[in-house]
Amino acid sequence: MSAAERGELEHAPTAEHGLETSTGLDNRKLLMWLFLGSECLFFGSLIAAYLLYRDQSLVPPCPADCVIDGVAHQGLFDIPFTSVSAFVLLISSLTMVLALAAIQRGDQKGLRVWLFATAALGILFLAGQAFEFTEFYREGLTLSTNLFGTTFYVLTGFHGAHVTVGVLILLSLFVMSLRGQLSPAKSLNVELAGLFWHFVDVAWIAIFTLIYLIQA
Amino acid sequence: MASEAAGRRPITVSETLRQLRTQGGDYGGVWSWIVTVDHKRIGILYGVTAFVFFLFGGLEAMVLRLQLSNPDGIGVNADQFNRLFTMHGTTMIFLVVMPLSAAFFNLLIPLMIGARDVAFPRLNAFSYWVFLAGGIFMNVSFFTGGNIFAGELGAPDAGWFGYAPLSLRGDTGIDYWALGLLILGVSSMAGGFNFAVTILNMRAPGMALLRMPLFVWMTLATAFLIIFAMPIITVALFQLLFDRLFDANFFNVAAGGNPLLWQHMFWLFGHPEVYILILPAMGIVSEVLPAFSRKPLFGYPFVVFSGIAIAFMSWSVWAHHMYTTGLGTVANSAFGMSTLLIAVPTGVKIFNWLGTLWGGSIRFKTPLYFSIGFISMFVIGGLTGIMHSIVPADYQQQDTYFVVAHFHQVLFGGAIFGLFAGIYYWFPKFTGRLLHEGWGKAHFWLMFIGFNITFQPMMILGLLGMPRRISSYPDGFGWNLWNMVATLGAFTIALSILLFIINVIISLRSKERVGPDPWDGRTLEWSLPSPVPPYNFAQIPTVKARDDFWHQKYVEDQAGRPVPVVADGAQGAPANEHDGSEEDHEVHIHMPSPSIFPLIAALGLPIIAAGLIYDYALVAVGAAVLMVGIYAWALEPPTE
Amino acid sequence: MRSVESGRLAVSPWLGIGLLVGLVIILAGCGVDTPQNTFAAEGDVAEKQKDLFNLTLWPAIAIFILVEGLLVYALVRFRHRPGNEGLPKQVHGNTKLEITWTILPAILMLALAVPTIAGIIDLGRPPAKDALQVTVTGFQWNWIIEYEEYTDADGNPLRVIGTCSTNCAELHVPVGREVAVYLESSDVLHSFWIPRLAGKLDAVPGRTNVTWFNAVNPGTYQGQCAEFCGLGHAEMRISVVAQSQEEFEAWVQEQLGGDLTTNAGDGEEGLAEANTARSKE
Repeated sequence: MSAAERGELEHAPTAEHGLETSTGLDNRKLLMWLFLGSECLFFGSLIAAYLLYRDQSLVPPCPADCVIDGVAHQGLFDIPFTSVSAFVLLISSLTMVLALAAIQRGDQKGLRVWLFATAALGILFLAGQAFEFTEFYREGLTLSTNLFGTTFYVLTGFHGAHVTVGVLILLSLFVMSLRGQLSPAKSLNVELAGLFWHFVDVAWIAIFTLIYLIQA
Repeated sequence: MASEAAGRRPITVSETLRQLRTQGGDYGGVWSWIVTVDHKRIGILYGVTAFVFFLFGGLEAMVLRLQLSNPDGIGVNADQFNRLFTMHGTTMIFLVVMPLSAAFFNLLIPLMIGARDVAFPRLNAFSYWVFLAGGIFMNVSFFTGGNIFAGELGAPDAGWFGYAPLSLRGDTGIDYWALGLLILGVSSMAGGFNFAVTILNMRAPGMALLRMPLFVWMTLATAFLIIFAMPIITVALFQLLFDRLFDANFFNVAAGGNPLLWQHMFWLFGHPEVYILILPAMGIVSEVLPAFSRKPLFGYPFVVFSGIAIAFMSWSVWAHHMYTTGLGTVANSAFGMSTLLIAVPTGVKIFNWLGTLWGGSIRFKTPLYFSIGFISMFVIGGLTGIMHSIVPADYQQQDTYFVVAHFHQVLFGGAIFGLFAGIYYWFPKFTGRLLHEGWGKAHFWLMFIGFNITFQPMMILGLLGMPRRISSYPDGFGWNLWNMVATLGAFTIALSILLFIINVIISLRSKERVGPDPWDGRTLEWSLPSPVPPYNFAQIPTVKARDDFWHQKYVEDQAGRPVPVVADGAQGAPANEHDGSEEDHEVHIHMPSPSIFPLIAALGLPIIAAGLIYDYALVAVGAAVLMVGIYAWALEPPTE
Repeated sequence: MRSVESGRLAVSPWLGIGLLVGLVIILAGCGVDTPQNTFAAEGDVAEKQKDLFNLTLWPAIAIFILVEGLLVYALVRFRHRPGNEGLPKQVHGNTKLEITWTILPAILMLALAVPTIAGIIDLGRPPAKDALQVTVTGFQWNWIIEYEEYTDADGNPLRVIGTCSTNCAELHVPVGREVAVYLESSDVLHSFWIPRLAGKLDAVPGRTNVTWFNAVNPGTYQGQCAEFCGLGHAEMRISVVAQSQEEFEAWVQEQLGGDLTTNAGDGEEGLAEANTARSKE
């Protein structure tokens, strides 16, 4: 590794300086991969807690139709609605890919369009989540109602917080691009945001499958 | 501010040297320490701060030992006792051993792999400031109980592993504890990412993975353990806080919650944590023994892979903390087996250390003493660990002083002895002065003897049926004598620490300077001047072998006997190869600029935490501080 | 000078050995002054646990002496001698040795696993059908003991609550008869531990843990809560009073006010009844 680039590792992209690392992977990209590995354990723990307490609630409401103490209760989950919002998040991964492709070929306009689209889809997802939470709250589900309320809100809430952070990063990149601070040489910034965004998306697919779709 | 200006543009080696000479090595006063991103300075900050916390934790231990010295105690009530032992454990683990290890990562890793700094210097500064903030936040809890001078202590009181549902009941001390651990977790994770990336990515040309010094390997294993274990405790602490602050039901039995969930989560983190604490010390010992035996580490690849094996296996043994919770015969058998098997790679390490000493020419310097202390005490810790894996026997030992003795054998007899070995070994590298040998040996002997008369009696106490965490005990149980002995031992240890402090003061004031390589070292850091210049390597070295620096000094003849390389006038003494002698080379070194923003971002975290306890408005303030810090940091150019 | 130093170092590990040997001597004998001595076993469970402990203690001491002995020997034998300034031969390792000291400990560990697992299964069996059924409930900071076999005039099981200011909880049992303990907690974690009779088992709120023990000889056996449970943890004591069947029944009668009815033989039903009765409370 050449000495001159040492200090620029935190922000300078690889391509510009021909920087070499021992693994060939940019420092920041390696950091992001390790961070996402760590995040897997984070969401894994939350999902595990949810699954451990699945069907253990002593009082309604339940996620799906259930019978507690001989009384039948209707489930809260609205699968079609959540499927749509999951689809929205899924599409945002596509627009994210398009944003990265745009910056890599130097298409600033495309970059802005797709960054904004990704952020907007993220916001749409969050709006859907806010709507869902409000609905559930109206049906009597709070954080303290039962084990379902506790594990559900905390799991999906932390996911929502991740989406929010992702949206903030995307909007920051969008503003940087407007100010002309996002040259193709800095495409790594977009790539890193993309990695995080895809992870949040994949995490949602896991949550959607395990929590919403599979009702043991 | 001078140094900040210096960092804004490329500086040259000669310029830096001139600056160093004119300022007598002190480049910029207190402010330069606050904004520093230099891994060596951050390492020193880590070390000094952790040592101060070590004194806190030690003081707490002294009060505990005095109270237990006799059945009547010294008037510490149960409430105070519970808070003190909780803080003693929490402090020693999260504010002493982990950050002391982090100090060594900081000081040594870039030097050992031939790099100018860590991969993310400002993230590194952030780690330190978050650690400091978390440590202070945690200790502030002492003042929340009322009038502290009237003995009304705050602080958490549910033990360092905060078992639910007891930890749901305590006062705000528990909130401080949980939030403090979350803050400290951010620091550890940032450090873990940084050092994993640094080691994987920043190695000098030729520094292949299997040429890395053992300490680097153990740091890498530790970093991965931190990266994967910390999120689990993070989730557990969030669950606890949601239960406490927002009436969630994770551990609420009345709503069907299971208190054992906490134990599983805590120990799934907690056992890897044990190895997070001990692997760095093992790495240090693996560096010290070869240097003073004047032989390479015996069975290098086996020591490396046994370390990795330990790191992997540490994920499969967590429930051995829970044998008595009624997990059932299958689970207890499985975890008993895995716990027995983790002894195998641990034994491999010990035998290889013996192999390193074997056939050497052992020089009895203080770092070696502490390393020998490490091995001899860690063996007892390991053997008592095997005894715990005999599950039915553990039904008797669980939660007794036998366990207290066991983990102090590992964490004090192991980690602390190892860390002191490191302090004595590398002190000259960063201060240019040796620690005094006479005081050092007195320190060792007093600590070694004190350690044995503190913790071996605790084994007897445990077998005589004394449970841990009791603030008093009745007369007539046969515990009086051994408790008194243990207390005397604790004070012997305290005295030994005083000797260490005196030694540091004397040595720092001494006029005697030491060269770059006082121990005839084997690894790259000894090729650099002492103290190491800010840029570390004037020229990044090219590594040709394991123990590369040693191979610059010696060649092996055909019988495997080392022969010194004849000093060649053209090359200069090998020890000087990487020092500043190339003053005239106008090598441009971009040093990372100092930055205040890591500190500002770090400040946001305790404000958010305090807000969660007292007033949610503060949460917004803290979040704003954090955001300002992060954005300013992101937008600030790292160099130039 | 150097050799003197190494000589001093050589002494130190023997300190540990001395302490360990001292420990064995101390623990082997007396049970009189040490009412919670895990070595003075008076019940079958504690006896088995003690045997297993001893089974590992001796190999552990042997390994300890071996390792510390090798360490001391290496330090003395290979110390730097003045006048010999040459460097030692640079030995990098020995694969055969490595394999040996990997395989041998692994075999030893697997050998230890056999009695361990046998012990787990042995002690983990359900209580015998004819065992005395007792429900022990921990709470901050005392114990409630319920005998499902004996009911009062109203049909409620005999219930004893520890009064900590005097003697804390007393669990009376007949000598020699197996006692089945159904362990519960009404608040935080506690742990039921009578060192001379049996190792501990945690009382976990929300679940019932089951264990069993017996007392071989009559006597009073001290125990205490072994899981940290807050302010009164140190005082949360419990003792087991092992008596002859006659004395035990006399005690039961006294507790019930002279009106002894027994459900012996259908302990499980009694327990079920008691549980229903409790849940109605």
